[in-house]
Amino acid sequence: MSHFSSVQIPKAETVAIQLTAPNQVKLSGTITQKDPSNDLAGFFKALHTAALADKLTEVRADVSGLTFVNSSAIRLFVDWATWVKNERGQRYTLRFVTSRNVTWQKTSFMALMSLAKEVLAIEQVS
Amino acid sequence: MSPFDRSPPSSSSPSGAKAPGADLGRPGLRAADASSRSGSKSTPGSGGSGTFGGQDNSALAGRSLVRILCTAGSGALEYIHAFVTAYSVDHFRGAVAQRLSVGAYELLSNALNFGSVSSDIVLELIESDSVVGVRVSNEAIPARISMLTEHLLRLRTNAEQTFMEELRRSVTGGIPRPMLGLARVTHEVGLTLELHVQDRRISVTAQCRR
Repeated sequence: MSHFSSVQIPKAETVAIQLTAPNQVKLSGTITQKDPSNDLAGFFKALHTAALADKLTEVRADVSGLTFVNSSAIRLFVDWATWVKNERGQRYTLRFVTSRNVTWQKTSFMALMSLAKEVLAIEQVS
Repeated sequence: MSPFDRSPPSSSSPSGAKAPGADLGRPGLRAADASSRSGSKSTPGSGGSGTFGGQDNSALAGRSLVRILCTAGSGALEYIHAFVTAYSVDHFRGAVAQRLSVGAYELLSNALNFGSVSSDIVLELIESDSVVGVRVSNEAIPARISMLTEHLLRLRTNAEQTFMEELRRSVTGGIPRPMLGLARVTHEVGLTLELHVQDRRISVTAQCRR
């Protein structure tokens, strides 16, 4: 079993998290708690570390079902992109799967792309 | 299915669906004028009263659909946001509901974090014939009002650039702490922000066309 698939999924009240493939995590629902890093920062870091250990070339983060996130949650995605960007050795492409029907995702992920375009990819689904 | 996917009601009239505390009209707000934005006596943050207008320089006056009171420092953010989002989904088309959802969250979050505990925070969902908006009012210290005024000026000058700057500061940190919330409201979901100051009481309105 891959490191990625073995990462412990945190319990979070408003967001459902699934590891749907050896390189894919899916988040749906909303992230509204004041400090979501308590639940999610460690999880994202664990996914990042596992992806490196598995020598993955791409990680897919499907956020298309996240209908709302607060600013603190956006910072978590920025952090994840920054970890990958700052990785000196072998690194992977972090592909965010977004929904073109969810307003907040369009601008935020395009902005994120401009901060770390060498390691990010954005895929839009309906 | 996204909670924002619901079709708008057949009638735009929300009659019969008013939340407790709903009222009519909104006194005390006026359209921004040149003097109120020019740094004269009525400039927000310097005492007195003033309005710092958004792109259309017009205050939102209309019917208050929802009016909720809460207190700074309380844990009201999540459940009030959930209610306002559900209400908006039920009353407005999906794209508008999404925008109001972000606006309500960020405005209320600021008020809960930075508002004075000595008076109520009031959140209102307001509609006129052509515009809908969310307004949050609270008391704040003059330094906070000045900071907010300055931030809104940056957003008004260039919302995209400010959004990117705040996003970058999210990575690097720094003081003052990154203020991504209002940048999201203007740039990410395209709501027009307006600040009105009456002594220490501030009202921030985020609005868009219906």
